[in-house]
Amino acid sequence: MSIKIAVIQFPGANCDLDAVHVLNSVINVEVNLIWHNHFKASHYDGVILPGGFTFGDYLRAGIIAAHSPALDEARKMLKDGKPIIGICNGFQILAEAEFLPGALLKNESLKFVCKWIKIKVENNKTAFTTKMNKGDILNIPVAHGEGRFFTDNLKELTENEQIVFRYSNENGDITSESNPNGSMENIAGVCNLEQNCLGLMPHPERASEAILSPYGTTHGKLFFESMVDFIKRRIS
Amino acid sequence: MPKVEIEGDKIKVDLTEPEIKQIKGLLEREPSITEWGMFDVMHSEHCSYKSSRPKLKLFEDAEKNYDYVLAGPGQDAGVIDIGEGYCLAFRIESHNHPSAIEPYHGAATGIGGIIRDILCMGVRPIALLDPLRFGPLKNNPHSQWLFKYVVKGIADYGNCTGIPTIGGEVEFDESFESNCLVNVACIGLGTIEDFRHAPSKAFHPGDYVILMGGSTGRDGIHGVTFASRTLTEMSEADRPAVQIGDPFTKKMIIEATIEAVKTGYVRGLKDLGGGGLSCALSELTGSGGTGAEIDMTKIFTREPGMNSFEIMLSESQERMAFIVKPEGLENVLEVFRKFEMAYAVIGRTDDSRILKVYQNDNLVVNLPATALSDAPTIPREEKRPDYLDELLSQKTPKPSLDIKEIIYKLIASENICSKEWVYRQYDHEVGVRSVVKCGDGDSGVLRIIGTNKFISASVGVNSKHCYLDPYEGAKGGLVEICGNVIANGAKPMAMVNCCNFGNPEKPVSFWYFSQAVKGMADFCKELRIPVVGGNVSFYNEDEVTNTAIKGTPIIMIVGLIEGEEKIITLPFKKPGNDILIIGDTNAELGGSEYHSVIFDLEGGRPPKVDEQRIKAKWNFLYELYKNDLVIANHDVNKGGLIITIAEMCFKNKLGAKLDFSEYYNKEMRQDEFLFSESVGRFIIETDSQNYERIIGLAKKFNVKVNKIGILISNPEIILEGLEIETIKLDIFQMKRLYDSTIPNLMEI
Repeated sequence: MSIKIAVIQFPGANCDLDAVHVLNSVINVEVNLIWHNHFKASHYDGVILPGGFTFGDYLRAGIIAAHSPALDEARKMLKDGKPIIGICNGFQILAEAEFLPGALLKNESLKFVCKWIKIKVENNKTAFTTKMNKGDILNIPVAHGEGRFFTDNLKELTENEQIVFRYSNENGDITSESNPNGSMENIAGVCNLEQNCLGLMPHPERASEAILSPYGTTHGKLFFESMVDFIKRRIS
Repeated sequence: MPKVEIEGDKIKVDLTEPEIKQIKGLLEREPSITEWGMFDVMHSEHCSYKSSRPKLKLFEDAEKNYDYVLAGPGQDAGVIDIGEGYCLAFRIESHNHPSAIEPYHGAATGIGGIIRDILCMGVRPIALLDPLRFGPLKNNPHSQWLFKYVVKGIADYGNCTGIPTIGGEVEFDESFESNCLVNVACIGLGTIEDFRHAPSKAFHPGDYVILMGGSTGRDGIHGVTFASRTLTEMSEADRPAVQIGDPFTKKMIIEATIEAVKTGYVRGLKDLGGGGLSCALSELTGSGGTGAEIDMTKIFTREPGMNSFEIMLSESQERMAFIVKPEGLENVLEVFRKFEMAYAVIGRTDDSRILKVYQNDNLVVNLPATALSDAPTIPREEKRPDYLDELLSQKTPKPSLDIKEIIYKLIASENICSKEWVYRQYDHEVGVRSVVKCGDGDSGVLRIIGTNKFISASVGVNSKHCYLDPYEGAKGGLVEICGNVIANGAKPMAMVNCCNFGNPEKPVSFWYFSQAVKGMADFCKELRIPVVGGNVSFYNEDEVTNTAIKGTPIIMIVGLIEGEEKIITLPFKKPGNDILIIGDTNAELGGSEYHSVIFDLEGGRPPKVDEQRIKAKWNFLYELYKNDLVIANHDVNKGGLIITIAEMCFKNKLGAKLDFSEYYNKEMRQDEFLFSESVGRFIIETDSQNYERIIGLAKKFNVKVNKIGILISNPEIILEGLEIETIKLDIFQMKRLYDSTIPNLMEI
């Protein structure tokens, strides 16, 4: 059975074509770029909410898109256990739509930040991390103005292993120097309780080809390979 | 004082007497108020290039003389064929005046405008670059304010539209204190077919004219006339002439326009920028040889009660005009509906060659389509300023600091230090094309997905050099900016420029402009670089202090790299490798950072350009590239060669053991030697096994190449072979100084 993944094109999304490129040309799976109003959950095995500035993010990052009909469809996928990933603005949307815990606040610096950073894998059992090992350090870039993760439920998130990635240095130490936005406990990505939905601020689609990485690495590929693997196991 | 004043039925225009006479003669009647307003805008310096046009003729006809140039000067953007069916469109523009009084929206709408210029060539904008000029930051809250909000304006707008800002340049100099420069460049990529689809012309009668995007409001009225005069104490009151940007709508316009063009039903495309509807409609019909009837009541306005004058002259952002084939109207409108974009079918083209605009039953505009675009040129006087001889004769004083102290001071100076504070705020990676990222090369390098081609782009010029000698300074700018793309392994393909100068009515300001244009034209002809577009910004003067900016002809070069393995980056790679210098170092310290930082001196002899030597050096480098002999490359500019070498050491925390005994010409003082800004030099890293081969090639190409040292793993620069004893410089300390200057000034 062939696998079909959707990349939702919200008005103002701008990493949509990048995600399509990686799935098409790097991962080699069928992918549809689908306008948010036209998205139907039943047609797809998994979905990507790409980065960008949906509806300009004029009110609060992700809040308007969180009310798009696409999110009602995505909710069905969530229930069915299909994989859903929100990257950067996609993470902000999923947090606003309460697929994921926590909120993303303005960066501590109050400035947009675009740079390659390192994240440490804390949970490799989610739909998007099975190809990684716990403790792995990944090279990946961030590019956001509102990525400071905050939750008032830290204890529960930790106990439920919902913290998937933390910003770290190259040795895996969780330091304030390696935290690009002031996120609580250096949290870079979280998942839902069922672990089929992941949100993260860094951009795996920008880290999937060696030519784009200052380190020649392709760590971003692991997210999408895990996703495909998860879908294959699910439908077999 | 606004140019058009309406008092009851009376109108006062600031057009010249001959212009008024010509207009009345052409129409054989008194124009309506709206028509006067349209003439006023279209005859402004900003729209008509009436002072600059005679000089810009010096640039040769790029479309005629270069077979890969698809569109040259005079169009919304230059377009070149890069092979395999792809083309690149690029252009650079100024947004100086708005940014000087409202830095955030001024810079943001500058980005908005340049994106539209590229979009109306039918291609997708894929990169932005921003050369900027401000007054010095130190102890200067006004400069800090402008700098902070210009950068934020660019970041917020560019990041939101999903176009990476891949490069730029910043200089700080007193002359830009009240007139900051904000130049914005954009590159677009598409297929040649996309480009051919939708020219900026309405050449077919019977087509529909559609206005798509944002609503027409009262903002920005007379933005171009405001940009065509000097800043005064009253300029703060001009804030309403600055438009407000909406990057989200712009992003939707980009997607809707690209999808509409793909339908094949769009026959013409034009953005609404300076001059608003007046400019767009007259240029579409004027250049297409058609006319049009427009129903003004169809235009969606932001507020009720706007009169025809305001509607025709509004410069509200985020609007595009489409000329659509009748049979495809529904298909195009369907695209706009999908993206939830507002649109209005406002009229149709005809074969009358007359632009008619109705407001209900009133014919408010009735003009020959070409009347607005045929502004007469004005010959301007030129005069070399008297102060130059004295400035040029200034000698380099004897420094009281030792060499080591001077180097540490230079690397921390505002014009040399790291600009990371700026580019961290720009999303420079969206689009998954950025291969050489900000800080890793002299230029930004992007891949063309689906090919093994890469493009390299760089912008800038040295304003201080141009101040002392605009002719040589402009040439030197070309050497440097071409050098930037060559250092990354590219061959320069084409150039666009943005001329920022003072009041052209003043002979000295016009002399600077004229000399700079001549320098660029001469160099480009000799080195075979087509000039495919340009923009002129005059009146960068402050009437309060009566000072003009240092005339700044910003240059943008786009180059092509054929193959991933041919990309070369700036950082030194491996201890044990050779460090070679290509080119001569002469005592050319005029306008140098050394003079300015250490002695607060502006004068001296600036670098001169010898085209034949430059040509030989470039060809020599291409030959080294062909044989894969270069491991790292960086062109030498501000601060001289030690600064260049230090910048190459930073990334991989390497050091350099330098011995100048063979290269250093002892007729020169050693400070002059070390801090000279002679143009056209490169520092390259090579494998020592290839030394003989490289020297052999250098002889063949008649190029001066010297080995000046080797790379070491210890992070220090050791200087030997000078008149003084060995100097050791600590790379980590240099890096700390290099990195901390701007954050220390800006993060209070």
